[in-house]
Amino acid sequence: MIELTGVTKRFDGKKQVTALNTVNLQIAKGEMVSLVGPSGSGKSTLLNLIGGLDKPTTGEIALDGAVLSGLSDDALTKLRRDKIGFIFQFFNLLPTLNCLENVSLPLHLRGWKKAQIDERANELLALVGLGKRLDHLPEELSGGERQRVAIARALSVYPPILLADEPTGNLDSATGVEILGLIRDLHQRLETTVLIVTHDKAVAESCPRQIALKDGVVVQDRRV
Amino acid sequence: MSRWLLLFVAGSLWAQDARQIVEESQKRHRSRSQQYEGVLEVYDAKGGKTEKRWQFARIGSFGQSKSVLRFLAPPLVKGVALLIHNHPDRASDQWMWTPELNRDRRIALQDRSTRFFGTDFSFEDLEERDADQFDYKLLGEPTLNGQACYQIESTPKQSRTSQYSKTVIWVRKDILLPVQFEMYVKAELVKRMVHRRIEQVQNVWSTLELEMSDLRKKSRTVMKSEKLKYDVTMPEAQFTLQALRRGE
Amino acid sequence: MILLKLISWQYVRKHLLRSLLTIAGIVLGVAVFVGMHTANQSVVKAFTQTVDRIAGATQLQITAGEAGFEEEVLERVQNVPEVRVAVPVIEAVANPETRSKGNLLILAVDMTGDRSLRDYALEDGDDSFIEDPLVFLAQPDSIMITQEFAAENGIKSNDALTLNSMDGPKKFIVRGIMKSSGLTTAFGGNLAIMDVYAAQKVFGRGRRFDRIDVAVQEGLEPEAVAKKIEQALGAGFQVESPSSRGKQFESLSSVYGMLANITSLFALFIGMFIIYNSFAIAVTQRRSEIGILRALGATRGQIQVLFLMESAVGGLIGAALGALFGVLIARAMAGSLGNLLGEIYGVAQRAEEVSSDPKLLAGAMVLGLITSLVAAWIPARNAARVDPVQALQKGKFQLLTAGENRTRRTLAFVFLALVGLSLVYGEGRLIFYGGYFLSIFAGVLMVPTLGLWLAKGMRPLLKAIWPVEGALAADSLIQSPRRTSGAVAALALSVSLIVALGGMTQAAYGSIEEWLRIALNPDMYLSPSQNLTDRSFRFPAAFAEEVAKLPGIRRTQFVRTVRLPVDGEPVMFVSLEIASVRKEVRMPVVDGDPDAMYTGAAEGKGVIVSDTFALQHKRKRGEVLTLNTPDGPLEMPILGTVVDFSDQKGSILIDRAIYQKYWKDDSVNVVRIYLDDGVTAGQMRDRVAAQVGDRYRYFVFTNEDLRSYILKITDQWFGLTYIQIAVAVLVSILGIVNTLTVSITDRRRELGVLQAVGGLRMQIRGTIWLEALTIGAIGLALGWVFGAVALYYALETSARDLSGMRLEYTYPFKMALLLIPVILGSSFLASLGPAETAVRGSLVEALEYE
Repeated sequence: MIELTGVTKRFDGKKQVTALNTVNLQIAKGEMVSLVGPSGSGKSTLLNLIGGLDKPTTGEIALDGAVLSGLSDDALTKLRRDKIGFIFQFFNLLPTLNCLENVSLPLHLRGWKKAQIDERANELLALVGLGKRLDHLPEELSGGERQRVAIARALSVYPPILLADEPTGNLDSATGVEILGLIRDLHQRLETTVLIVTHDKAVAESCPRQIALKDGVVVQDRRV
Repeated sequence: MSRWLLLFVAGSLWAQDARQIVEESQKRHRSRSQQYEGVLEVYDAKGGKTEKRWQFARIGSFGQSKSVLRFLAPPLVKGVALLIHNHPDRASDQWMWTPELNRDRRIALQDRSTRFFGTDFSFEDLEERDADQFDYKLLGEPTLNGQACYQIESTPKQSRTSQYSKTVIWVRKDILLPVQFEMYVKAELVKRMVHRRIEQVQNVWSTLELEMSDLRKKSRTVMKSEKLKYDVTMPEAQFTLQALRRGE
Repeated sequence: MILLKLISWQYVRKHLLRSLLTIAGIVLGVAVFVGMHTANQSVVKAFTQTVDRIAGATQLQITAGEAGFEEEVLERVQNVPEVRVAVPVIEAVANPETRSKGNLLILAVDMTGDRSLRDYALEDGDDSFIEDPLVFLAQPDSIMITQEFAAENGIKSNDALTLNSMDGPKKFIVRGIMKSSGLTTAFGGNLAIMDVYAAQKVFGRGRRFDRIDVAVQEGLEPEAVAKKIEQALGAGFQVESPSSRGKQFESLSSVYGMLANITSLFALFIGMFIIYNSFAIAVTQRRSEIGILRALGATRGQIQVLFLMESAVGGLIGAALGALFGVLIARAMAGSLGNLLGEIYGVAQRAEEVSSDPKLLAGAMVLGLITSLVAAWIPARNAARVDPVQALQKGKFQLLTAGENRTRRTLAFVFLALVGLSLVYGEGRLIFYGGYFLSIFAGVLMVPTLGLWLAKGMRPLLKAIWPVEGALAADSLIQSPRRTSGAVAALALSVSLIVALGGMTQAAYGSIEEWLRIALNPDMYLSPSQNLTDRSFRFPAAFAEEVAKLPGIRRTQFVRTVRLPVDGEPVMFVSLEIASVRKEVRMPVVDGDPDAMYTGAAEGKGVIVSDTFALQHKRKRGEVLTLNTPDGPLEMPILGTVVDFSDQKGSILIDRAIYQKYWKDDSVNVVRIYLDDGVTAGQMRDRVAAQVGDRYRYFVFTNEDLRSYILKITDQWFGLTYIQIAVAVLVSILGIVNTLTVSITDRRRELGVLQAVGGLRMQIRGTIWLEALTIGAIGLALGWVFGAVALYYALETSARDLSGMRLEYTYPFKMALLLIPVILGSSFLASLGPAETAVRGSLVEALEYE
């Protein structure tokens, strides 16, 4: 499903930083993987590369057999919106849009019909347990609820891959557990491949496969 | 215009001091009327030459004369006429008739240093000179071209403005006729006027040819008078604007 | 100063493009100010220089308006003992048949006396440049030209030069070529000297002179001698120094100067909003920086000074750039402006050198500085008020502006109420203009609120059409009124300016067309010059009378237009046979009984004035004008006012008989011809040609020719006002660019998210475009409303203080509609750059922490 071959990412600045160094990795369809490591180990970079938000300096990434390198920005975006759902630590909901609108956003961007969008968005919000707060603005919701909306948005077209960057990082531990439960639940029900970047040990260990990064190199890859 | 006639007048008397010599010279050569045909040749520095001819007539004497000058050649100026009425107490009235335009005009008061119609004479050079307005000094009694002369320096009085700071005049002792003028601006000699052909006409010593040289521009103007006659009887009516317009 | 370098410079460097955009308003405003004024000054200077150079040693010039006077006046002047030299002059403009384009200014003088005043540089060095002065005078075809003109056209001494004269095209012989001197550079070297008496014939002047140039006796004061001459001649003559003619021209072109001022002030005013906007944003963005500075011990005063210094530096840089551009603009337009002013006022000058007045440049710098400081005042004060503790807390980014908005609204309503009162009791000048300014302030204060309402109102519509892009674009505006209201205000003001100008132009056009239809209704006209405002050539009365006798002509009217001083200012006199005009023309009457005023004027019992004259000179019907004629003062009551556009500065209609009697001038500028039924203008043209042949120089204009000629000049004049429109639009577009540039920075994360969840680049661009279009639409909508008010005030101002035209209020709907594509199109263009920047940025960075 996800295949990284010799992926290296360097950042050019005043000092060149190698965030990832020749990473080879394969994640099969339906896996739920946690990605851990200290700050600066390259885990977020890895996630961004897989999500097509950034491009590797060298090496290749393939999603579902499609090689990312060589795709134009727009082709990459199209691939991303069909195959990947993003969940961010800070939710990244658009503050001016209500829950329904936030969730509808990717569907609108795909040019779906209004009726279809409404149906799907309602379905998704029900799925994350927010069926009754459709017209609330993000600022009227709690952190957990916001993350649920974000998850619903990430699921818009039921993408095969869900990428979560510290999804519980900004939540208290109880809510964190709740959200993680939701993600695991969705993973099982929808057979989505899930990749969670986290530094929360509990979150990491709840995943069947745990990958650890240090200084841009995979130092551990174990399945429970 | 009429004033240059002064330069043609002639006579003889001997005098004691410079001023008396000048006054006597002027008095000696007055006549009631005069007539002649003039030729004017202007030579520029490159040797180019232009020529004009005219007819001149004057009645009346110094200070209240009237004269008419009518050009005969070249064709472009033929028929142009000047009428001058001199007054003892004020500037003269001058008119010009231009046949091509078919009208006369009053000639404006001149800046007296202006050249007279492209010649080497300035308007001032042609004026009647009132002896009272200058101081005279006898410089010596040199000989010029074999003729004994008085050499007199004339400087304008305060009351009179002149383009020249001084003029040195040579007056022949025998006939009391001025024969050479040298004009100075500051200390520089700028012009020289030489009376060349001097003859007696009707018992009056007259200059029949003179040459004015502009030493700065290196050009010179030669003026000759022919058919000179004195005391001709001419009607007053010939010296009016009406007559000018009729082309008489 | 250190702070400025440490703090401000860093910020500017980081936001270089934005900083440049910020001062662009100042640049444009100052550029227009400097450009238009420099062009104008160059034209005035060219005229003054021409006058000066031609004046030579002339100390006084004697004129009787433009009417000229009879020859005998010369003798009267010469008889004044204090006068040393007095020489007659005729000045005319002719167009030669030469290689080089452009008119030849002909200075006709009396060469026998004139050299006391002017140095013709004829006999400098070895050569005489005029071969024979006697020939020059003797031959009426003599002309003398400048070395420059000779060289340009390959003319040598004794060559022929054909000029159009009153007697048709006429061959002149070049009898002298003047060496370069002060005189020969007058009128750009396109100067020719001829004999004044020959010129009388050539230009149809009769036995008249235009002017007498005078030098006074040495040691005397020209002013004192001027008084003596005035006593000798009477009040009908003007005795002035040559330089005062330049002042007269300046006063003629003052309408243009006013226009330049309005345009540039408007540009600066709009620019002010952009600066205000930028600083307001900068203060918000730099809150934490300000907080740190405050925490480190900077006082409120220091913070305020810091921001004011920034704006001062920006203002000065902007003004300097603007001045530079302005001079370039002036270069480009001086020539055509010169032609235009020449055509409108019939004054000869050639604007070639463009030089900037240091005073003007200094003024421009001050203007830029003040604008910038005023604009930054409120943001700087806000910056000073930043609470260091709050500022250092992350997150609380937007200041709450609800309270501010309320204050604004209240103030706006108070102002509006005052405006209302000023309209009711608005007779006084102060109250009227006070109301004018308050209305602008009220409008500006209401922009944030109205803009917000409109944006909210538009959101559902936008969302319905473009669910994501539309909604986000509208939200962007709704969320940060502070970011957008400056740009919206600038745009709204621009649009209102355009609407007001459009309305004025339309109204003016309407009135001028009506006047053309009513007053200029003859079937054809004869004029001695191709250019109808040029009064160099005049028909002798004999010509006009000869033409009048031709069969097929129902009626002729002889017109002599001439500028004469009234109350010290040159005013256009239109002298014609009023009784005859009455039978054909019903001029729109503003004040007075039409029959009474025409009958009275025809009998010579008074004059009729244009309402422009009445307004500008503050004269009413019934008042008595004292006209100083060469024959002494003439008391003429104003019998009525009519609408007449003969001249921008107003006109006075006087019966020809009266004019002829007092000014002794029977020449004719224009012959108005009404044809018998069945006779066409073409037939009559042939008849005139058969009768007159080439004995006279004349040009035939049909009614249609004249109409289009006048409309062409009107167009050119209004063309100048289009510069205002262009500038206004440009400035407000810059405002939009500025706002969007800030907007994409502020919304970077939002745009990143949009891309992360699947937004294509096109969709991202789309939302920026839509934001721009929405700003454009809101600005447009507000501008339409403001424009309705601005038009009212513009018409009033024009009537009261500018042109004196009283114009009808008609909202320019067509133009308002035309603005939709213009403004939306420009808004779209403005958004292209920012939209590209938006899609180019790194997604990862955009999605990082706030």
